[in-house]
Formats: sequence, C-alpha cells, structure tokens
Amino acid sequence: MTSISNNQAPRSRRRIDGWRWTGRIFLVLMLMYTALPMIWMLLTSIKSGFAAMQFPPQWWPSEPTLASYQKLLDPQNSVGQDFLRFFWNSLFVSVCTTVLAVFVAVPAAYAFSRFTFPGRQFLFFAVLLRNMFPAVIFLVPLFILMRVLGLVNTHGSLILTYLTFGLPLAIWLLKGFYDNIPIQLEQAARIDGATRFQAFLLIVMPLSVPGIIATAIYSFIGAWNEYIYAATFITKNEQLTLPVGIQRFFSENTTDFPGLMAASFMMSVPVVVLFLLLQRYFVRALTEGAVKH
Amino acid sequence: MAQVVLKDLIKTYGSVYAVNNVSLTVNDGEFVALVGPSGCGKTTTLNLVAGLIPITGGDIVIGDRVVNDLDPKDRDIAMVFQNYALYPQKSVYNNLAFPLQMRRLPKDEIDRKVRDAAKVLDMTHLLERKPRELSGGQQQRVALGRALVRDPAVFLMDEPLSNLDAKLRVQMRSEIKRFHQDLKATIIYVTHDQLEAVTMADKMAVMNGGFLQQYDTPAQVFAHPLNMFVASFIGSPAMSLVPLEASTANGMSVLTSAEGWALPLSPLNARKVAAAKSKKIVLGARHSTIKLHKSAQPGAIPAKVYTVEPTGDVTFVQAFLSGSLVNISVPPAVHVAPDEQVWLEFDQDRIHLFDGETEMALHAD
Ligand SMILES: Nc1ncnc2c1ncn2[C@@H]1O[C@H](COP(=O)(O)OP(=O)(O)O)[C@@H](O)[C@H]1O
Ligand SMILES: [Mg+2]
Repeated sequence: MTSISNNQAPRSRRRIDGWRWTGRIFLVLMLMYTALPMIWMLLTSIKSGFAAMQFPPQWWPSEPTLASYQKLLDPQNSVGQDFLRFFWNSLFVSVCTTVLAVFVAVPAAYAFSRFTFPGRQFLFFAVLLRNMFPAVIFLVPLFILMRVLGLVNTHGSLILTYLTFGLPLAIWLLKGFYDNIPIQLEQAARIDGATRFQAFLLIVMPLSVPGIIATAIYSFIGAWNEYIYAATFITKNEQLTLPVGIQRFFSENTTDFPGLMAASFMMSVPVVVLFLLLQRYFVRALTEGAVKH
Repeated sequence: MAQVVLKDLIKTYGSVYAVNNVSLTVNDGEFVALVGPSGCGKTTTLNLVAGLIPITGGDIVIGDRVVNDLDPKDRDIAMVFQNYALYPQKSVYNNLAFPLQMRRLPKDEIDRKVRDAAKVLDMTHLLERKPRELSGGQQQRVALGRALVRDPAVFLMDEPLSNLDAKLRVQMRSEIKRFHQDLKATIIYVTHDQLEAVTMADKMAVMNGGFLQQYDTPAQVFAHPLNMFVASFIGSPAMSLVPLEASTANGMSVLTSAEGWALPLSPLNARKVAAAKSKKIVLGARHSTIKLHKSAQPGAIPAKVYTVEPTGDVTFVQAFLSGSLVNISVPPAVHVAPDEQVWLEFDQDRIHLFDGETEMALHAD
C-alpha cells in the first residue's frame, strides 16, 4: 500500500506541474497581449514628437517629457481647451447615462423578479430583443428618430441611445440579483413594520449594492468608450465626446503621436480608477447573479 | 394577545386551490399546530393570516378586527420563517431592534427591550455578530427573538425547527413550548412533522390538499381520526388500514377478506358498519392495539410476517394481512422471523372503521 503510493506520487505531481506551467505561460502571454499596448501608449506619450517617429524605435525615451500632458491640460491654449471640453462632454454623457440606467433598471429588475403581471414574460424578452442585433443596425433608424425629435447634435441623443444598449443588460443582471435575495427577507420586514417600499429600500437595496455597482460600471464604460453613434449624431465640435474628439482632433493637426497617446491614456484613467475601486463588487456581481442558490 | 378566526378562507393560484374553504378558530393564548404533508397549503394559510399574500375569498379576524385588507405591519403579528430570514447586513442587535425602530420607539426603550430579549434567549454575547457568523441553532434563536421583542397579538411560525439537526430540534421544541406557557401567547405553528404537532400544540389542524381535515386536541385527533387521511397521518408508525368487505355469517355481522377469513364484529361495530353507504369497509388499528400470536387462536386472523424492526424498547413487526401491510408492536422478548406465519387479534373496542368509498370514519347511529 505505502510502496505503491510512494511510487506513484511523484509521477502524478509532475503531470500536474506540467499543466500548471502551461497555464502560467498562457497567462503571461495574455497579460503581455493586453498590457503591452498600454505600456507602449504610456511610453510614447512621454516622448518628444521627433523621438516618437524614430526607427528603430527608442524603447525607453532618451529625453522623457510631460509636455504633451501639460499641453492637453492647459486651459490657456486651444488644444487644452478642446481636450478638456471633450473630457467634460464624455463625463457628462456617461454619468447621465449611468444614473438614468440605474434609476430605471433597479425598479424594473425588481418588478420582473418579484411581481407577476400580464405580459411579464413577453416584456422581459422584449427587453432583451434589442441585444440580439449588432449595434450598427440601429444607427440609421435611431438617427432618423433623433432628427425627428430634434436631438441631433445634443448630448440627449447619445444618452438615450446608450440607454437602449445598457438598460436591457442592466435589467437582466439586476434581476438575477434580486432573484437570489430570498423573498422572506422582505416579508419579514413587512411584518416587522415596514411598508412594501420601506422593505425594498431598507432591506433589499443594501443587499443588491454589488449588483447596482456592477450595473453602473457596465453602463459607464459602455457610454465612455462608444464611438460610432457619437461620430454620427454629433457634428459640432463643442459637443464632441472624447473618443470622436480625440480622433478628429489629432488627424486634423497632422499626427502628433505623443499628444494622441497622452490623450488616450488620460481617457482610460477614469475607467481604470472606477474598476480598481469597485472591481471587488463587479466580480462578485458577475458570479452571484449567474448562479441560483 | 388575541384570538384568530378564519372563515371559509380560500386562496387560488390559477385553477389550483392552495387553501380551500378553511374555517377554524384559534382562541386567545392557544398553541395551534397546522400540520399536513408538504404542499398541502400550510405556508399559504400562514401567509394569508400574515397578510403577505392577498386572499381569494373568506375572512380573517384577528382580535376583533377583520384584517382582510390590512398590511402585514398593521396586523400586530410576528412571524418566524423556516429559513429564519435574518437581515444579513445587520448585526444581531439590529435584527432585534428593527421591528422596534420601524415602530419609532425611543432609542433607550429599544435598547432595553433588545437586551431583555437577548437575555431571555441567552444570547447577550452574540449581539454584535452578523447572522452568517452564527450556528443554525443561534440563528433560530435570533429569529425567535426578533418575533418576541415586540409582544405581538399573534405569533406565526412556519416550520421553525425543520432546518435544525435532530438533537437541537428536540431541545428547541421544549423551549418554544416553555415560551408559550410563560407568555400565554397565541401561536399558530406550521409543521409537516406530526410528532412536533402532537407534542407541542393545544390543538392541531390537520390539512391535506388545501382542505382542513380535522381540528381538535391532539388526544382527540389521535383517538378519533375523522377520516382515513388523518388516521394514517397522525401517529408513528402509521395506523394500519386494511380494506375489507362487510357481510353476515350465521346472523352475525362480519368483515370478510378475499383471503377467506372473517372477522366477527362487536354489536357496536356492527351498528357502525350498518351505517356505511356501501359494503366496502376499511379496518384501522394502531400498532399497540393488535395482539400477535404465534399459534392459531379463536378470533385471531392469519397473517405473514414481512419485516421485523427491533428498536430496543419494542419490536415493530410488519405483516401482510389481506394484501395490506399491518404494523404491530411486540415486546422485545418475542421473537418472530420474516415469512413466519402469525395470528393477529384485534381489540373490538379500539379498532377504527372507515367507509371504503367516502374514506370517512363510521359512527353508530
Ligand atoms: N406563488 C405560488 N404560485 C403558484 N402556486 C403556489 C404558490 N405558492 C404555493 N403554491 C401551491 O399551493 C400549494 C400549497 O403550497 P404551500 O402552502 O407552500 O404548502 P406547504 O407549506 O403545506 O408545504 C402547493 O400546491 C403549491 O404548489
Ligand atoms: Mg411550507
């Protein structure tokens, strides 16, 4: 008995190690695949315009400079003015989208989870129908709609559009969350003296905070990065959001690569910060909403 | 404290009657157990009393108010849930305080009541913990504590012990019983475990398929089950039921079996059988009222042993009689083996007779 296990143990350990190393190498490759462009972006952004165009490339800038950042953040010159305006526009559109998405998705998801009403199933799938088609399909119809509504060249057109993308998944995600909160908690609260609304507000809402945060991050990132609709609906320079703004801006002034990279880097800052602060909830939300206990 | 009256209570889900015309009165200070198999409508009944789901028909009276349309919070009730339903984000202290906070009691009074309740339930040292840091038994106590901080008119409990292990269940059973005696509380207690109902309750309401089958003291329900369902549900092991045929032999009323034997009936039992609508009669007998003989005796009926289960105190024997399994208890000194031929003697004063068609207990007119 002991002799057998002594013989076999090292061999099986070696096989596991083999898999583990394969896994590690794979992870390292994945990490490089995602991180290298970011690193290169950062490196380029602190080069001078001349150094950025050199070939073979300078792996590490010989004269690192923050000039690009200074230019972009300086409200005195026109580049800085534009960049800060685009940044503000993006922030405004994304925050409005996020707040509205949460505001609508929370009660909608709760209703889908807790109440039975005529047409419940139908409505729930109707909500998802939107996500079964690629986003561009709706480009023209939505543009026509926005024109009729007189919303072309306003941030309202973008907020409405982003809600049509974000809301269905937000509702779906949050419903999974509410499904997993035992209904007895609300019943207990109602017996303990709460109204139906208080039971929701005081007991259910705090428990669904991770789901709400995940929904919020999801909506925010979606709106923050969106390009095609922003490029179609907005033509006035002062209304542009960052993705479109950066692209137009830098292709007009012959290509200033360090400036472009600095702008791109700063554009990714809010997303990264949001993620770092809230990733705990995000991961939990994605796993918790998925499984029924 | 208050009484609770259910009048022709009905709850339907689509075409399914979850609760069907249930009427019963729970007197002030009484401990009533709602008992029945899973899915018979116990929880639904309790939720109707609590006001958590709307009623389809009938009336609910708590104290002297018809509460049909009142919110749960206005019914002056407390409830203990099967899964305890403790607020996961709140400490034990705040779980206990929540019902008082919702009623806007002053802070110092809340504190006093919470600490009193914690002392009664012996969990003062747990007040700062979160529910997930407690054992199942401790969670159960907190759930009970949250119900009793408020002294409501009625306590509703939905299988509060079913998630505990066997030993803790027995212990909590006596604690809840004690709690009822001390507080003189009106309690409606749902359980699927007939033993819990029999041991704890002043009265038991046996339900099946949404209908109330019988509502009486445990002793009465045990001694005089109104129908075959109650007879077979209450008592462990269950009452044995043997379908037979009524006939007469030599001017005597007897029950005959397809196996060829006949069981003569006493005059009282003969009158009961005469009151039946059909010739189909079901003989019922509890294990302790049947005598087992190892040789043929006058008045004893032949049966074949199926299984033998010694428990130490008594030995339970299952035997085939006219195609049905019959439970008999014998002293441990009696040795029988499977497939052995035995003779069973029924006590005429303690057998139960049921109409084979209506399944109702037969009475002498
Ligand atoms: N929300 C509901 N929708 C449809 N049917 C239900 C619902 N709740 C309970 N029922 C049905 O009502 C019957 C009684 O259920 P319940 O009161 O939970 O039984 P018990 O508590 O006695 O096990 C069951 O047949 C159940 O399927
Ligand atoms: Mg139940």
